[in-house]
Amino acid sequence: MVMWLLAALAGFRPESAESQAEDRECLRRLAAGDRDAAAPLYDRHARAIYSLALRIVDDEGDAEDVVQDVFTQAWRQAARYDPSRGAVAAWLLMMARTRAIDKLRARRARSGPQSIEDERVMEQMPAGDRDVAAELLDAEQARMVQRALGELPLLQRLAIELAYYEGLTQREIAERLEEPLGTVKTRIRLGLLKLRESLAEGRG
Amino acid sequence: MNEPHDDVKGLAGAYVLGSLDADERAAFETHLSTCDDCAAEVRAFRRVTDALAVGVPQRTPRPELRQRVLDALETATPAPPSRAAPQAREWPGWLPLAAMLVLTLGIGAYAARLQTRVSDLEARLDASLLQVAAADQLVADSRRVAAELQSAMGVLAAPDLARIDLAGQPAAPGARARALWSRARGMVFTASNLPPLPEGRVYQVWVVAGPAPISAGLLMPDAAGGGMAYYMTAPDIPAPRAIAVTLEPAGGLPAPTGAFYLMGAPGAAL
Repeated sequence: MVMWLLAALAGFRPESAESQAEDRECLRRLAAGDRDAAAPLYDRHARAIYSLALRIVDDEGDAEDVVQDVFTQAWRQAARYDPSRGAVAAWLLMMARTRAIDKLRARRARSGPQSIEDERVMEQMPAGDRDVAAELLDAEQARMVQRALGELPLLQRLAIELAYYEGLTQREIAERLEEPLGTVKTRIRLGLLKLRESLAEGRG
Repeated sequence: MNEPHDDVKGLAGAYVLGSLDADERAAFETHLSTCDDCAAEVRAFRRVTDALAVGVPQRTPRPELRQRVLDALETATPAPPSRAAPQAREWPGWLPLAAMLVLTLGIGAYAARLQTRVSDLEARLDASLLQVAAADQLVADSRRVAAELQSAMGVLAAPDLARIDLAGQPAAPGARARALWSRARGMVFTASNLPPLPEGRVYQVWVVAGPAPISAGLLMPDAAGGGMAYYMTAPDIPAPRAIAVTLEPAGGLPAPTGAFYLMGAPGAAL
């Protein structure tokens, strides 16, 4: 156990911190106009971006479009990335979710595509929480999150998945499930608290 | 400060999920800029949404996509340098080296201290794991007890409640018991003054309704010989003609084999 802990300290942490530093360096180069910096960024994050997009749009062609949009947007907006507000991976995934849900909404043929508010949330986010998503980016972590979701009471999980992966507002969820808005709000809140707890346990 | 904290503080989660309506979102953002608690909560929930982003089945995109994406960048134009160009300030060149040196020195001392801390923590972790297991057991037990109590209360409130008092038999003349039986809701059984169980034996409660006694379940008395249990009984059996308790091998048997300790029939005087 001691050996394992030391190995984890020696191996895992610096590597993750290192790849985060590399990510930031890539964005700095992109911001300076160096297109070559996109390739390492793609190699590290395309799989996670594609997977999230595919989960949301459920169509391989659309998911590929999302990946392309995300990297184009990262290239255009690299200078706006603020490392104090989150890891590069989180920033990219947030853009991926935004684009993917835009596609979903456009497909649902509502009143046209309306951008959701993720990037706004990112910009409003209080600083000082950097090392979040990069530690999460591997299959084991993905399974852990799925397990945590699986442990939620079904209706809480449903509400959270409708909100996060389908981009529905609480009001829309309430309408879709034909339930009072207050009930939906409570479920989302309880579910998130529970997820937060089990993710903290899983990491700790 | 224009929104009272209580009205908006529940919104952090939905805000981070992006599932607030426009007006709610505006109110929350106004509040967020002045409230450290909510800012902390938003940060904490951001960990959850970051996790949700990676908590999907991981799929590898087609290899062709890589070239397509990189090609697309060749024709895309970068945005004009934006209003905020944060953190782009250059650090002095010697800073990384100095930082590395400080880090190296620090890490050496830190690792030494870690060794002792780790073994200390290991010991404490083992202790905590035991406590957690015990606590889990406790929670499971209380859940079961709560569920049983609820069922038992259901029995007591049943419209078809029947009371059957059981008298001690020669093996245990001082023992007493009472069964409260409802066809739909099961049976609550309380006993007192039962002799202590011999090793490898258990009391078994029987319902005599049809031709043969049906096992209701096992009964483990406490040190004082008292016991209470709730048994689900099949709703399709006729009303019991008698209820009995025998001593059986641990785990119980499908039909009574041991001595009768308690017995009673509806309406029989104690």
